[in-house]
Amino acid sequence: MAGLTADGASLAERVLELGTTGYAPWLDRTPHRKLIEARGLPKLRAEAWRHTNVTRWYDAVLSGAETPAKRTRLELPEGVEAVDFESVRACELVAQRGEETFSLAAHPLAALNALRLGAGVAIRIPAGVAAPGPVRIGDLPAAYQRILVIVEADARVEVIEEPSTYTHRLLEAVVQPGGRLSHRRQQAASSGRECSLVAVRTEADARYDLAQTALGADLRRNDILATLAGDGAAVEIRGAWRLDGSRHLDNQVAVRHAAPGGTSRQTYRGVADGRSRAVLNGRIEIAPGAQHSDAMLSTKNLLASDTAEVYAKPELTIYANDVKCSHGATIGAIDDDAVHYFRSRGIDERRARSLFVRGFLREAIDDVEAAQRLGVIQ
Amino acid sequence: MSLLHIENLHVDVAGQPILTGIDLTVAAGEVHAVMGPNGSGKSTLANVLAGRPGYDITEGSVTVDGEDITPLSPEERSLRGLFLAFQYPIEIPGVSNMEFLKAAVDAHAAGRGEDPPSAVDFVKRARACAARLELNPDFLKRGVNDGFSGGEKKRNEILQMLVLEPRLAVLDETDSGLDIDALQVVANGINAFRGNGNAVVLVTHYQRLLNYVVPERVHVLADGRIVHSGDSSVALQLEERGYGWLDG
Amino acid sequence: MSEQSNELADLVGQDHAATGHEYAAGFVTEIEADTLPPGLDEQVVRAISAKKDEPSWMTQWRLDALRRWQRMPTPRWAHVQFPDIDFQSISYFSAPKGTAPTSLDEVDPEVLRTYEKLGIPLHERAALAGVEAPADTTSNVAVDAIFDSVSVATTFKERLAEAGVIFCSMSEAIREHPDLVRKYLGSVVPKPDNFYAALNSAVFSDGSFVYVPKNTRCPMELSTIFRINEKNTGQFERTLIIADEGAYVSYLEGCTAPMRDDNQLHAAVVELVALTDAEIKYSTVQNWYPGDDEGNGGIYNFVTKRGACLGDRSKISWTQVETGSAITWKYPSVILRGADSVGEFYSVALTRNLQQADTGTKMTHIGPRTKSTIVSKGISAGRSQNSYRGRVRMNPGAKGARNYTQCDSLLIGDSCGAHTFPYIESKLPTAVIEHEATTSRVSEEQLFLCQQRGIDPEKAVAMIVNGFCRDVFRTLPMEFAVEAAKLLEVSLEGAVG
Repeated sequence: MAGLTADGASLAERVLELGTTGYAPWLDRTPHRKLIEARGLPKLRAEAWRHTNVTRWYDAVLSGAETPAKRTRLELPEGVEAVDFESVRACELVAQRGEETFSLAAHPLAALNALRLGAGVAIRIPAGVAAPGPVRIGDLPAAYQRILVIVEADARVEVIEEPSTYTHRLLEAVVQPGGRLSHRRQQAASSGRECSLVAVRTEADARYDLAQTALGADLRRNDILATLAGDGAAVEIRGAWRLDGSRHLDNQVAVRHAAPGGTSRQTYRGVADGRSRAVLNGRIEIAPGAQHSDAMLSTKNLLASDTAEVYAKPELTIYANDVKCSHGATIGAIDDDAVHYFRSRGIDERRARSLFVRGFLREAIDDVEAAQRLGVIQ
Repeated sequence: MSLLHIENLHVDVAGQPILTGIDLTVAAGEVHAVMGPNGSGKSTLANVLAGRPGYDITEGSVTVDGEDITPLSPEERSLRGLFLAFQYPIEIPGVSNMEFLKAAVDAHAAGRGEDPPSAVDFVKRARACAARLELNPDFLKRGVNDGFSGGEKKRNEILQMLVLEPRLAVLDETDSGLDIDALQVVANGINAFRGNGNAVVLVTHYQRLLNYVVPERVHVLADGRIVHSGDSSVALQLEERGYGWLDG
Repeated sequence: MSEQSNELADLVGQDHAATGHEYAAGFVTEIEADTLPPGLDEQVVRAISAKKDEPSWMTQWRLDALRRWQRMPTPRWAHVQFPDIDFQSISYFSAPKGTAPTSLDEVDPEVLRTYEKLGIPLHERAALAGVEAPADTTSNVAVDAIFDSVSVATTFKERLAEAGVIFCSMSEAIREHPDLVRKYLGSVVPKPDNFYAALNSAVFSDGSFVYVPKNTRCPMELSTIFRINEKNTGQFERTLIIADEGAYVSYLEGCTAPMRDDNQLHAAVVELVALTDAEIKYSTVQNWYPGDDEGNGGIYNFVTKRGACLGDRSKISWTQVETGSAITWKYPSVILRGADSVGEFYSVALTRNLQQADTGTKMTHIGPRTKSTIVSKGISAGRSQNSYRGRVRMNPGAKGARNYTQCDSLLIGDSCGAHTFPYIESKLPTAVIEHEATTSRVSEEQLFLCQQRGIDPEKAVAMIVNGFCRDVFRTLPMEFAVEAAKLLEVSLEGAVG
């Protein structure tokens, strides 16, 4: 029952009254409806929602004030199969995905995604194919969206997500043995209220990289779950964010080592200015038997104003002994000494601070495009 | 009587035969070198003598001072005077070298039915041995091999040997990873130790340590057996001609 | 030379006496006890209050707590699992029979022998020998002995009184020092703070009370030894320590219980108050019965400990060495209100067999330039689960505040779990929080190295664990540090192989 409260029931009823869309009729929504009926929806006081006022998101859901994009923005390289979720082929690809990449009980908002689903795309990179260019997924024309990526054995692809708006987006990916998925996620500043879930399963010797740059939104919640399901799988997650105004960003990341010999790295750097609120909950889980796992998490945060807030919760849950796990977390301010040093060399304070922030964020994601998006290059 | 006597020793590791009939006898006062290419079974021989778990004796015997040591636990072998200098010394963070050595020295004293040495005597002895290996006294306070350089780790093994004064020292690739200065320091340590009724088995791939520690006998191991034995000149021949000449 | 003596000191600290395999404190004392029947309602609370001859304000305080408790749900967020506790099957009061002793001579000799057996003689040895003990001898510890629900003896009272220090049982404090008790009881841990604190507030039976007056350095270590003896009895003691301006006190707490097949509940509340420039050092060696190899029996240790640094430059330091209890649920915390105040938490928690521990601390920074340090060492063996849970919060007024947290786990064997749940929260840019956590294990290679040097595996594990815990042990008073190291060694026997 974790994360759910009894008085969520009335909310659940109201949400269920919204009904089910007719999109992708092959999708059996029974388990989703049952989950909401049985367990309600998470409320603000639930542990996983301590720092996100999820009620405000439900307001958006219930008011129908969602403003989905009008059209699909999708770019595909050659050799990659992509189908609309509406089609029966998408159903086949879901079957090919195999077992669930996440549990609905742990991610109940995904149930809402299924009930209200209005747009989706399923993508397959055939075995052994190295996609010649990135798959770009911009907007999909509905408030509730779903993306499925299947990277078959020894295939490789880069997927770039850059949506302008949604209410809930679910991205599932399976990287089959020896495959490689590089995932770039670019979340622009937004006045919307949005929640998303990324659930990835990495099989033997497969590799998943995520580089996420985010500016805040009125409410922005990212759940990311990466499972190392096969021997020797590797996951790297990097996140950089910069918030100002009264923006909000809540990242809940779990990296689960379910097989031996996996390696995971998580690096986060964030700057919170104005009256913004930044949250990172980064969990490393080592399942029983996942020996020789090597997992590391580092999160560093800068508070750039007296009114911003940062919450960090790096967790370790370890059930195997022959493992290397560590995490480190810091919260502090922009280093005045460093700023002073820049100034003593003739660089004005504004630029000095910007350079400092740029260098700081670069520890997570070091490329020009990311820096531009984060607004740290002048 | 021979100090170490190995007869027809067969050893499996993970079900694979690695040693396939070793015969080796070392008398008190002698230094023997066991040489061989990678994968010949040199380290297996060193580890099986110390009783490392995972090394299964399928045939043959090993005696030290006439006693069959194969049924003994690693610590019982240690108390009978068998010392292994590890090829890859293990790190034990948080436990200081001093503390570790004291625990070992006390265990050995108890094994002889003696009282442990006083802390003052012990510290003096440990410091004297450290000085002989040109180790700074601070070295004794650091965690066992924790954050040591490769050379420091190897010197630490020799330090433990000097403090524990074993009957039989088996040095597994103690020369690897040492620069020439460190090699000389280590060699001086071994030379100071040798004789006095003890025996030393040097397990090594290269001949260079043998320039400084000249062995009475050299044995060449290949495919799990000793294929050639001779005096110290064998090492020089190996250096010159490589292990290939033995095949012919 | 000083270098050498340091090395010697280190070595002497390692020479632990060999001790038996068993839980040595597991015996039962046969004495007649005055025990309330199981169950909890208003009548029981009134009965406890009446037995203790309490003033009516205290009775009302308890009843208020009871009413709040009755409305509270059982907390379920900790990483521990146990069947629901039937609070009506527990007896909430047990005391050795007879009238309350007024001096040691009146204490039941069986009870005195119990403490002798535990290695804690209650006789004032130094005084008996007719010599003034020097300030650093082990006998120079004043002890308050709590047997089941009541304090049976407090030693060295006169000598403490000379210094103006009040050290007595909570019952006595309620009678003799009502102003202090009314002012501070519940001021750090309010009645409805949490489920178990509310329960304790309703039914607490006894505990220790300490008041150190202004500018006084308490002349000796103070100590409370808790002993649960009766079956089906919960222990709910309440400790309140107040260090007035410029005062210093060091306080030690030890706990044991007999081996019994049933689980017993221990739900204590400890409140510390440090005024301006005051310092309180609180050390615990907790060795409640942990249950047997199969997880039967053992103490449920659900304790609320919190200190308030009320005054500027005050300091509160918690050190705990936890090896006992079937389940541990405790978070000794510090509220850093005074400017430049300091909070510290040093913890060693060892779990084995089927023990579960969810322990850590909360450091709440309110005043400017407040500092906190957290060092947590968790050791898991057997099939146990060991969790660190901590929260560091920087509130808006805590300008220039700092926290440093180091949180390490050591795993012995592949069937145990080690978990870390730190909550790090900041609302102001000038505060700095640093948190680090690592995981390591006792490896077969390490044990083989030790064995090859002649050290048997159990001794080797004890040595490695000792090394792992050093940063915490060095914060304990000397005799306690030796005690703690010994306790770990005994607790680890049988943990390998």
